[in-house]
Amino acid sequence: MVLAQLGGTISRALQQMSNATIIDEKVLNDCLNEITRALLQSDVQFNLVRDMQKNIKKIVNLDDLAAGHNKRKIIQQAIFNELCKILDPGKPSFTPKKGKTSVIMFVGLQGSGKTTTCTKYAFYHQKKGWKPALVCADTFRAGAFDQLKQNATKAKIPFYGRFSCIPLFVEIDLSCNSYTESDPVRIAVEGVERFKKENCDLIIVDTSGRHKQEAALFEEMRQVSEATKPDLVIFVMDSSIGQAAFDQAQAFKQSVAVGAVIITKMDGHAKGGGALSARAREVEFEQWGRIWSWEKVLVSCISSVASDYGDVHKDDSHNQVAATKSPVIFIGTGEHMDEFEVFDVKPFVSRLLGMGDWSGFMDK
Amino acid sequence: WFSSMFQSIAGKANLQKSDLEPALKALKDGLMTKNVAEEIAEKLCESVAASLEGKRLASFTRISSTVQAAMEEALVRILTPRRSIDILRDVHAAKEQGKPYVVVFVGVNGVGKSTNLAKVAYWLLQHNVNVMMAACDTFRSGAVEQLRTHARRLQIPIFEKGYEKDPAIVAKEAIQEASRNGSDVVLVDTAGRMQDNEPLMRALSKLIYVNSPDLVLFVGEALVGNDAVDQLSKFNQKLGDLSPSPDPRLIDGILLTKFDTIDDKVGAALSMVYISGAPVMFVGCGQSYTDLKKLNVKSIVKTLLK
Ligand SMILES: Nc1nc2c(ncn2[C@@H]2O[C@H](COP(=O)(O)OP(=O)(O)OP(=O)(O)O)[C@@H](O)[C@H]2O)c(=O)[nH]1
Ligand SMILES: Nc1nc2c(ncn2[C@@H]2O[C@H](COP(=O)(O)OP(=O)(O)OP(=O)(O)O)[C@@H](O)[C@H]2O)c(=O)[nH]1
Ligand SMILES: [Mg+2]
Ligand SMILES: [Mg+2]
Repeated sequence: MVLAQLGGTISRALQQMSNATIIDEKVLNDCLNEITRALLQSDVQFNLVRDMQKNIKKIVNLDDLAAGHNKRKIIQQAIFNELCKILDPGKPSFTPKKGKTSVIMFVGLQGSGKTTTCTKYAFYHQKKGWKPALVCADTFRAGAFDQLKQNATKAKIPFYGRFSCIPLFVEIDLSCNSYTESDPVRIAVEGVERFKKENCDLIIVDTSGRHKQEAALFEEMRQVSEATKPDLVIFVMDSSIGQAAFDQAQAFKQSVAVGAVIITKMDGHAKGGGALSARAREVEFEQWGRIWSWEKVLVSCISSVASDYGDVHKDDSHNQVAATKSPVIFIGTGEHMDEFEVFDVKPFVSRLLGMGDWSGFMDK
Repeated sequence: WFSSMFQSIAGKANLQKSDLEPALKALKDGLMTKNVAEEIAEKLCESVAASLEGKRLASFTRISSTVQAAMEEALVRILTPRRSIDILRDVHAAKEQGKPYVVVFVGVNGVGKSTNLAKVAYWLLQHNVNVMMAACDTFRSGAVEQLRTHARRLQIPIFEKGYEKDPAIVAKEAIQEASRNGSDVVLVDTAGRMQDNEPLMRALSKLIYVNSPDLVLFVGEALVGNDAVDQLSKFNQKLGDLSPSPDPRLIDGILLTKFDTIDDKVGAALSMVYISGAPVMFVGCGQSYTDLKKLNVKSIVKTLLK
């Protein structure tokens, strides 16, 4: 066994509880422990899982439950609500409008899939009649502009950037440009200006990979954001990431206004082949075969979206939730341009818990 | 759940499983917060329990410290390589036989194969070894230019044939070229691939079969969580199952990347070594050519148990 089949484990735990004749502290604990373990096996941040367990216990006060009430249903609903609370920011992300110029900036850790996802995002919109354009503001990684250029050319999408010049081996820095030539802020601004003039309605800015431990890299990201004033900043996250996800996601959010998340490399564990169309999704949820990848969605959603989950519970202010949480809008399911799917959280959680119809379980 | 760690049962008779449980649970949770895969943390705790059960506790020792000591020992044992590979020595041995020493870098997408290949090239240059690069990622956009940039910066030769060529053939020609131009080492870059992608895994085992490299280096990022177990076990399994050879080559060593991005969450190192039995030969810890280190087992163990 590698990753536990999270969905299966959770619904099995709930089922076991349903089989118990009386529901006491022990039955509840067993059920919660089983769920906790499943979440931990899937890289959900440790403290978050602890918090969630505590919160559910707080909500489900066994003594307070009047006899005759359906305890199982109450517990099941509490679990569902907690999962949704973590995953659902309660407010949709900024959605660009066709025909009206929007600037979208992509950020994320090194190698998470930004450059690939930029093209997928552009291609997705282009097929729907948009006029996208790509700007390469990664002046650091060797071959970054070639990569974006080759992708954009394949998709027939206009692009802007500079070829990395190749200085001789003088400094040990891996950056392929001299300092003045490599100002990503300037290139980003130039690209955005150009495509605004050309009436593109979706201007996508790709940036270098970075991590929170290097303050200068975060400062550079802040500057690119300040100079290009993006309508939406998208945080791109690799679905195989472990316990470091939480701190990194939080740090990105603290430096720039992350408005949405895209999770990549979902194909790592996909059992069934083929991309899902948005339409086919309801059907696919029925097929447990996809759970490997759906499980990864849940996990990455939790890590990336819920960085303020604990705090939210402390003051329970939902406005703050909406301000700081960012929904997962797409998932990447392969290296090719069209391996990209829209993502919705609610039907996903209900399927995960083995509850057919989720609408009855939602907090009103 | 922490307070249970400090229970002292000095004077009690032989250790029972139930005595150990609270301390083991705390230890397992601790390992998982450090990003050790759940499955691995569980197995480790089981083996520590088995080693302690029935033993007598020395008087005035806490269960928690006994368990901790046993775990420390287990961790050191796992992380200390059983077979050590001395690349420089092997390079010289190959040179004496008049053959270039070939290293193939493999791994899933975006983990840092190409970048760390460049760092290894730099490290070899520092040791006066003639290095050549082979651009055998013929799939991902910009991959060839990326490697070419590094080759130019390091002023070393590169063998490239553009895109959409069979990488196994490109590697073969590169090695022939290396024999001609007197390169001591050929570093073969390959495209990233998901461990479940059968056609791509088949292509990789073909590349390895056709070229019988001296070292198959698995590149994995320290950021990876539970997937580490799946990545390494599947790479080994597929390289074995899909190879035409009756005695297929598997992963020889691990290059652990992005170590600078994880603070104290160093658990991926343990998961990878535990599941594959292969040693961590290099640790990538930044985006400069010099950011390549050796694994410090002591400090990893210390961090894991902190
Ligand atoms: N299998 C798979 N591979 C992906 C997916 N998205 C991206 N990749 C691959 O992941 C690797 C890294 O992707 P990039 O787009 O270069 O990542 P990046 O974030 O731009 O990297 P840096 O610019 O170096 O930080 C490439 O090999 C991509 O082909 C996905 O959804 N599935
Ligand atoms: N912080 C940090 N970044 C690294 C390290 N090693 C590589 N990177 C970065 O990770 C990103 C991906 O590196 P690549 O070398 O292109 O990865 P790859 O495995 O060759 O990717 P594909 O060929 O697309 O599968 C780049 O932005 C690198 O600069 C490291 O040790 N630390
Ligand atoms: Mg990029
Ligand atoms: Mg590469």
